[in-house]
Amino acid sequence: MSGKPYRLPAGGSCIDRAKSISFSFDGKSLQGFAGDTVASAVLASGQRLFGRSFKYHRPRGVVGLGSEEMNALVGVGVGARHEPNLRATQVELYNGLAAVSQNRWPSLSFDIGSVNNKLSRFFPGGFYYKTFMWPKSFWKHVYEPFIRRAAGLGKAPEERDPDSYEHMHIHADVLIVGGGIAGLTAAEAAAASGVKVLLVDENPVLGGIADLSAGKIGDTTPAAYAASAEARLRGLSNVHILTRTTVVGHFHHNYLMAFERVGDHDPALLAAGAPRHRLWKIRAGQVILASGALERPLAFANNDRPGIMLASAVRALVERYGVAPGKNGVVFTNNDDAYLTALVLKQAGVGVRVADSRARPDGALVQQARAAGIEVNAASVISAVEGSHGVKAVKIAAYRKGQGRVITETRVDCDFVAMSGGWNPALHLWCHNGGKIKFDDAIASFRPNTHGDAIAAIGAANGTMNLAETMNEAVAAGEAAARAVNGKAKASKIKLPAIDEPQRGALEPLWFAPATGGYNEGNKHFIDFQNDVTAADLELAQREGYESVEHTKRYTTFGMATDQGKTSNINGLGVLSEATGKSIPEIGITTYRPPYTPYSFGSIAGALTGKLFLPVRRTPIFQWHTERGAVFEPVGQWRRAYTYPGAGEDKHAAINREILGVRNKVGLLDASTLGKIEIKGPDAAEFLDRMYTNTFSTLKVGKCRYGLMMNELGFLTDDGVTVRLADDHYLMHTTSGGADRISAWLEEWLQTEWTHYKVFVTPVTEQWAQFAIAGPRAREVLQKLESDFDVSNEGFPHMSFKTGRLGAYPVRIFRISFSGEQSYEVATPANLGRGLWDAILDAGREYGIEPYGTEALHVLRAEKGYIVIGDETDGTVTPFDVGLDGLVSKKKADFIGKRSLEQSYLKGPNRKQLVGLLTEDPQEVLPDGAYAVREVKDKPPMEMIGQVTSTYMSPTLGRSIAMALIENGKARMGEVISFPLEGGKVVKAKITDTVFYDKDGGRISA
Amino acid sequence: MLVVTCPVCGAEGDETDFHYGGQAHVRRPATHDPANISDEEQRDYLFIRHNPKGLHFERWRCDRGCGKWFHAARDTVSMEFKAFYGISELPPEELQAQAKGPWADYFKSRAKA
Amino acid sequence: MLESKFESPLAHRQSAAETYVDIREVSERGMIDLRGQPGDKKFMAAVKDILAVDLPKAPRTSATWGDIRVLWLSTDQWLVTCPRHRAEALTQELTAALQGIHSLAVNVSDMRAVIRLEGERAREVVMKGSTLDLFDGSYVPGTVRRMRFAEIAALLSILEDAVIEIYVFRSYADYAWEFLIKAARKGSEVALLAPEAKGAA
Repeated sequence: MSGKPYRLPAGGSCIDRAKSISFSFDGKSLQGFAGDTVASAVLASGQRLFGRSFKYHRPRGVVGLGSEEMNALVGVGVGARHEPNLRATQVELYNGLAAVSQNRWPSLSFDIGSVNNKLSRFFPGGFYYKTFMWPKSFWKHVYEPFIRRAAGLGKAPEERDPDSYEHMHIHADVLIVGGGIAGLTAAEAAAASGVKVLLVDENPVLGGIADLSAGKIGDTTPAAYAASAEARLRGLSNVHILTRTTVVGHFHHNYLMAFERVGDHDPALLAAGAPRHRLWKIRAGQVILASGALERPLAFANNDRPGIMLASAVRALVERYGVAPGKNGVVFTNNDDAYLTALVLKQAGVGVRVADSRARPDGALVQQARAAGIEVNAASVISAVEGSHGVKAVKIAAYRKGQGRVITETRVDCDFVAMSGGWNPALHLWCHNGGKIKFDDAIASFRPNTHGDAIAAIGAANGTMNLAETMNEAVAAGEAAARAVNGKAKASKIKLPAIDEPQRGALEPLWFAPATGGYNEGNKHFIDFQNDVTAADLELAQREGYESVEHTKRYTTFGMATDQGKTSNINGLGVLSEATGKSIPEIGITTYRPPYTPYSFGSIAGALTGKLFLPVRRTPIFQWHTERGAVFEPVGQWRRAYTYPGAGEDKHAAINREILGVRNKVGLLDASTLGKIEIKGPDAAEFLDRMYTNTFSTLKVGKCRYGLMMNELGFLTDDGVTVRLADDHYLMHTTSGGADRISAWLEEWLQTEWTHYKVFVTPVTEQWAQFAIAGPRAREVLQKLESDFDVSNEGFPHMSFKTGRLGAYPVRIFRISFSGEQSYEVATPANLGRGLWDAILDAGREYGIEPYGTEALHVLRAEKGYIVIGDETDGTVTPFDVGLDGLVSKKKADFIGKRSLEQSYLKGPNRKQLVGLLTEDPQEVLPDGAYAVREVKDKPPMEMIGQVTSTYMSPTLGRSIAMALIENGKARMGEVISFPLEGGKVVKAKITDTVFYDKDGGRISA
Repeated sequence: MLVVTCPVCGAEGDETDFHYGGQAHVRRPATHDPANISDEEQRDYLFIRHNPKGLHFERWRCDRGCGKWFHAARDTVSMEFKAFYGISELPPEELQAQAKGPWADYFKSRAKA
Repeated sequence: MLESKFESPLAHRQSAAETYVDIREVSERGMIDLRGQPGDKKFMAAVKDILAVDLPKAPRTSATWGDIRVLWLSTDQWLVTCPRHRAEALTQELTAALQGIHSLAVNVSDMRAVIRLEGERAREVVMKGSTLDLFDGSYVPGTVRRMRFAEIAALLSILEDAVIEIYVFRSYADYAWEFLIKAARKGSEVALLAPEAKGAA
């Protein structure tokens, strides 16, 4: 016996029988041909079983044709390249491909979870809600692990993904979704007028289901016509074609996402550097949806057995891959289209008969089938399926519309079933951004109605199920789209050939086929295969009062799986319609949400992984920090050196060394991240008076002043030192995190409120590398650096500014301090920064200069009681709350936030105020954010009166210090308050003022 | 993802190239008479915003373009922009006529002034 | 004498190899941020006296004279580019000439990194990180535009059809470089946008 017992001796338009491909499924070596999918090649080998279902672990096989496949989800690839939950019908074969089935344990054919099927009376619709409710403690230890284990379909790989992904942006005048006959024809019609056309199709080849369609276009088959249309389009420079690309979402203003599988089908491409997936972000002027239709399953007893497939999928299996679905099958249908499948099977030499639920089917295809000798049972349904891992036989019962019971039935041996309940237009993209739909009795489905965007649906996506109308719609839509783009009305350039297609009889909806025996767990009519929702579940939901379809959806999980209800939605509505006596339009339809099909996380992330995950901002000294072994700290997107541990030194020791270095000798800090903004113009001084709480119009040229900024709510939002460079020219410093925000803030007020001010604001943060040289020996270091200006204490006092040179380095230098020590901030152009940094270290070596990081900086400032915006403030703190009343002007009539400070809610008596804290045990460091309570109790709740905002072990003082915002804090000096910590411990601390070190401030101006 | 057009520099781009700045035509009381503002007036200025279904007047900044602020009128149902206009300007008259709530009063008061 | 030492933003990076467009840092450029009112004739005249070129008033354009190229940034803002060694002197000349005229000229030569892309597919590489439609006919040589690039702000300057410069803030230079060499990795060309199809309407 050959390895592929179901491969037909001839045929298969997609495969190349000369190219054999080796692959494996669940570890078993198999052979297929180039052009096969995993589904076709595995089916060719005789294997039907592809996985186990989600809830009941029922054996499942391939049902569909392409992206609508809901059962045959496989994991593909090994190790880091493993990707779970791929539809076997879409995975193209390549040499060495390794696929595995999912949701089975320990093996596919014997699965322990399938006991759920036997117990299914305990798993009715809504079982999650009914079962996993109580007791609460069971959630963590019993229910959740159970659900996780039982529900996990595929397994995510544990290693890092070795492949690359990317995004691409594209603009198209006309985007056409779907490359079947409709899409190709619309593309030709649109492209004829020269507009830029993008045609996107999710399959490897264009043509849609032209190859599975009957009829003639001109004198060729639909497939040959599609091929010629494609060739014409590929010859045009204004047409771009993307294959293996699924448009997964439609958003506002015709913005669409499309997911391209660039390298999945060919490892050689990946090895050559291709991205595995590419996510296209498309902006289209006009969108034409030619996304086709999806065939509906029929709801009959045990309609989920492996070997029961959609009629179109069976047809594709034979026509495209030369694979027989079995030896002998039954086509079960309520429409004419499935007769094509019967004819194809017959021609391929596969046994076939038809059960048609309609009383008198007599369309052209029906007649052809009869003429070909195919037995057709009209007014018949399948009432039972025998076999669990496959189909052994079915029972065909007489059926009359409205009849719920089986009266007579005939057993028919067969090993597969091809079912067709009609076709649903693929409405998903139409609905993503609010398109309206209407029910059409002729197709027993919804079709597009109106849409607010420039989007049109044509062909099967529009519910038009015949070739001639489809092509007319396509030409009209293509030309209308082009006209909408270029404004010109042109006579039609597209001459359509004559179309000859079989006359079709009407479809009659069949939402539920009566079953042999009782209507219970032995007889499941599956509606949503992927989430294991049956007709009985939907009816139960109705009986339990879930009248709205959206409630039913959530209660039963119907339509909520990754297939987004592609095959199940309308069938479910049909069942609900019969259960309630309401029409389907009255019931309504649940919301279609993006994505149309799942797309990879890799494609969503694109290139932005690893080093690109988040933009990291580097100061000019970044390399030095790295080489010095700095521990980095994120400050906004900046990476700042937190501390520089030496060999064998831990972080705490390093921070203490750095702090004492500044206090006793001299330290060097990279402060390049500080925001710097030049502000110039005749109204600059008045403008700054509006922006700051304090006054800058009185600042003398060459002097610095610390300023506070509030937002309009009266809350602190930024602070920093601003220097007056000239009468009409200031240089503002902001916090590192506030640089962009504050320059935008200044611009906003200038442009929107004080539009008459003549002021220019130019951010220059990154022009300068800026360093703090701080400590009692700072001046000596500066002197050694060949300054061309007076650095004496008298000539360069605290809060003054100079421009000059240190050797060949041009500098701006500020005598300002955030450490409480004598301190100079030196700025030099960024590209000279590293050179100057090295020079300062050289000059400072003999004074014992210590580079220090941001943590030392924070401790140094806390020892002095200086606030940090974002530590002492949280967006609800006023200048009064932090004791900076003196910096809030009483003279200025207006500045940002002033009026809000007078609002009643900010003047209440119990505001929290900033205080210092000294713990009773000096070695005890309060945790950051610890809460003070009014009264300690045995257990919560306890009334909270404030919280710690900054807390450190101060090496300078040899004890812990902290700052806190405490209710009425200023009036409570000396009071001891309690901080209950986790675990029952209570830390007591005395309220003090916030300045812990050098209270008279002598060191700063020394 | 909306497409926004800056009326100042003509740049057209995705909304991520722009910065949304909330309701337009909100008057800041303190700019005009800082000494005589009631708590209620200040409260309304800070917190009370109009949130209609339909025509909405709003502020945007050409964040990745010329950096200028401007105004837009947008239908919050269809997401269609009805107009883009300068930061010191009023919307086209036909939109002023359709305006409701505080905007209607504001446009009328500006027309008188 | 303490000599100054120059280090460009991307000095730590190797030159890009294995990319399908050429990517290199331009470190010799001087840049001046110039603010003023285009409606102020005195301002425009004073600037022209110094630069010998009219400031471009049309959005997203540039103007060139000799080694000076002025990029339009906003209705009242330009980036004057020149050889780096001239930037400081030119800033001072501008400031002196604009004395008494509402304006602001700042030497910002160190504020940005400039990365140059050269090759037939340079536009495609930019479009992997930008929503701009660089195949739209309006992006002719001379066009400048600020944009969101990958996750950062950038300034796009099209010098020739196949020569593009991207200006990014200095701190983001390493990020931008990393993105570009990844986007331009050989093998990741976008087949759809083959150069021969680029001229499409």
